[in-house]
Amino acid sequence: MTYFNFPHIEEDENLKNLRNDVKSFLKTTFNSNNIKPQADAWMYSANPEFSKKLGEKGWLGMSFPKKYGGREKTMLERYVITEELLVAGAPVAAHWIADRQSGSQIIRYGTEEQKKEIIPKISSGECFFAIGMSEPDSGSDLASVKTFAKKTADGWELTGRKIWSTGAHLSHYMIVLARTEKLDEKNRHSGLSQFLVNLKLPGVEINPIEDMTHQKHFNETVFNNVKLNKDALLGEEGMGWQQVVGELALERSGPERFLSHYILLDNFISEFRYKMSEMGITSLGKIISELQTLRMMSFSIAWMIQEKKSPDVQAAFVKEAGNVFEKKLIETIREMSNLIPFEEWSSSLKSLFQDATLRIPANSLRGGTSEIMRGIISKQLGLR
Amino acid sequence: MKDEVKIILDICDKILLKNVDHHLRLNLEPNSTQFKTLKNEIISSELTKLLVKEDLGGAGMTLTDIIPIVQLSAQYGTPIPFIETIISNFLLSELNIKAENDFITLTNKTENILIKKDKISGIFKSIPYLNLAEKILVETEIKNQKYIILFKKGGKLKLQKNFLSEPKFDLDASELEIISMMEKPEQMDVQNLLINVRSIQSFGAMEKILKLCIEYCSQRKQFGRTLSKFQMIQNHISEIALEVAASGASLSTLKNNNINFYNLKSTAIPKIRTGIASGKVVALSHQVHGAMGFTKEYELSYFTKALNSWRNEFGNEIYWQNILGKLFLNQNKNLWEFLNH
Repeated sequence: MTYFNFPHIEEDENLKNLRNDVKSFLKTTFNSNNIKPQADAWMYSANPEFSKKLGEKGWLGMSFPKKYGGREKTMLERYVITEELLVAGAPVAAHWIADRQSGSQIIRYGTEEQKKEIIPKISSGECFFAIGMSEPDSGSDLASVKTFAKKTADGWELTGRKIWSTGAHLSHYMIVLARTEKLDEKNRHSGLSQFLVNLKLPGVEINPIEDMTHQKHFNETVFNNVKLNKDALLGEEGMGWQQVVGELALERSGPERFLSHYILLDNFISEFRYKMSEMGITSLGKIISELQTLRMMSFSIAWMIQEKKSPDVQAAFVKEAGNVFEKKLIETIREMSNLIPFEEWSSSLKSLFQDATLRIPANSLRGGTSEIMRGIISKQLGLR
Repeated sequence: MKDEVKIILDICDKILLKNVDHHLRLNLEPNSTQFKTLKNEIISSELTKLLVKEDLGGAGMTLTDIIPIVQLSAQYGTPIPFIETIISNFLLSELNIKAENDFITLTNKTENILIKKDKISGIFKSIPYLNLAEKILVETEIKNQKYIILFKKGGKLKLQKNFLSEPKFDLDASELEIISMMEKPEQMDVQNLLINVRSIQSFGAMEKILKLCIEYCSQRKQFGRTLSKFQMIQNHISEIALEVAASGASLSTLKNNNINFYNLKSTAIPKIRTGIASGKVVALSHQVHGAMGFTKEYELSYFTKALNSWRNEFGNEIYWQNILGKLFLNQNKNLWEFLNH
């Protein structure tokens, strides 16, 4: 009767040692490069030099085959590194999407040439990607994308607009989901294809969008009759929907869904460890239990991906449970500080708290809204 | 899952499928044929000796091994002291005492215990299914020494005024026959063990509730369509599923090895997480079922009442949140170190 299984996976000595290695590296690198930890760093804190250093350590492209410059390590090893980077608030935004999902899509669906050309650069921390899914009129309803790739004698001509493309202004490529056939209302998921688009090509225009925190991390990306070679097609023509679903599992299941603002929690505890009321301690216990449970779910999914299973629904669980967790984080911190007036907080802690308050509304939107996650779960349960 | 666990799970599933239904739950009498048949099949298939060491005639399984069996039993809403007997026999086996071929129930809530020769007197509280068990195992303290004592049932059973699913009794016992009595080893933490069993059972019961919600909503029609087609209902059920999934994942803390059943952190995490989930699942599942779920005849309430009972035992989740918070703060580690050790 078990509906959704999250197999129990043990963290072995090898993984524990890896954690320690990452911790020491981060300590040294932060000190020598004067890097300041940031909350939501995978979205807001890009540092190409730091990405390159991670590549040099062999901590990017971890699971990719060696022949393409990958490391042939496990997804569990990658998971451990990812957690440590997030917990430290490391500036990982530049390479995040390439390492998390775009590289895996290319490994899975790309041609030999595409793999040889791009994967080594992702692994060395020198090639960054943006996501090309949402459009001005296609947010949650991804199958309704209008960006069109028309077949030409030399390849394809791409026309349309993508929106909310995080980090596109820093990226080299975007994997674009486009229609290659007209929309068939009876079979909306057919006629879609994915393309590997070089963002330096003529006709590509990237316009920043300022978010409510006054930062410009996401963009509108416009494709004005962009000429693509035949080999820009990623995977099979017409199979874009099937491909994109797998990509979303990679996007949704990781620890960034619940560790984005971990440094706020950690800093609060460091500052007020001995000042918390009984109520504060009780709230802390709750958040520890919920956080550890989320880690077990996400770690289990990393193992499932490693074992070539398709944890699409489990990923929706982590995404949604992570959203709920992070939304509650602000309230939990407020409970934990019930006897500690805001005026007594250090300015750096106040700043983290205010940043989190502003940014957290985006958590249940990016990577698929809560409503979409619940829809996926309902469908899996046979309710749709 | 180990092959031997799969085999045992299959045997258990067949017995429970054949014998456990809502009629049994509502008409539970020690002399009923349905109860006697179920008990006979469980005892004769040696399912109550799964945790007993092999040299004492048991299956030699670990606490971790039997998690899916406890879960399955809770999914069936098995209204007998099956799991209580498994745990009692385990504790006896740890003390190198042979397992019993009867149903045993257990408690650690005792008062005024007096031992005289081979007889025990005292007050024993909140004993589940005492009406269906022949023997009682207690953890008790006498003159600053803790003991595990097994004795024969007798005396006056007093059914607690209890609105919840499982019958619990208080017993005022006078000179009942002791079968075994041993000093309790320090590392044996009966209460932690019982809390962990409840967390696993809560997960199993919530899985059953999810199943009931899906089935009910897929059949019942209102406004010309099945309830399952209403987005609000889908939202409720997906939230239940989310809580069920998180509860199941929280049990991971118990799955490393037996020692974790006695570890405060490993116990607290699922106790809190399943406690939080239970509150949400009870409320949402009743909302989804409407008036039908409020009837005695329909089985939802059996499971929701059980969850309400279990989440309050041994301190509710809020009590345990405080314990876990203090456990962390007293260790002088940063949070990440605490989580990773």
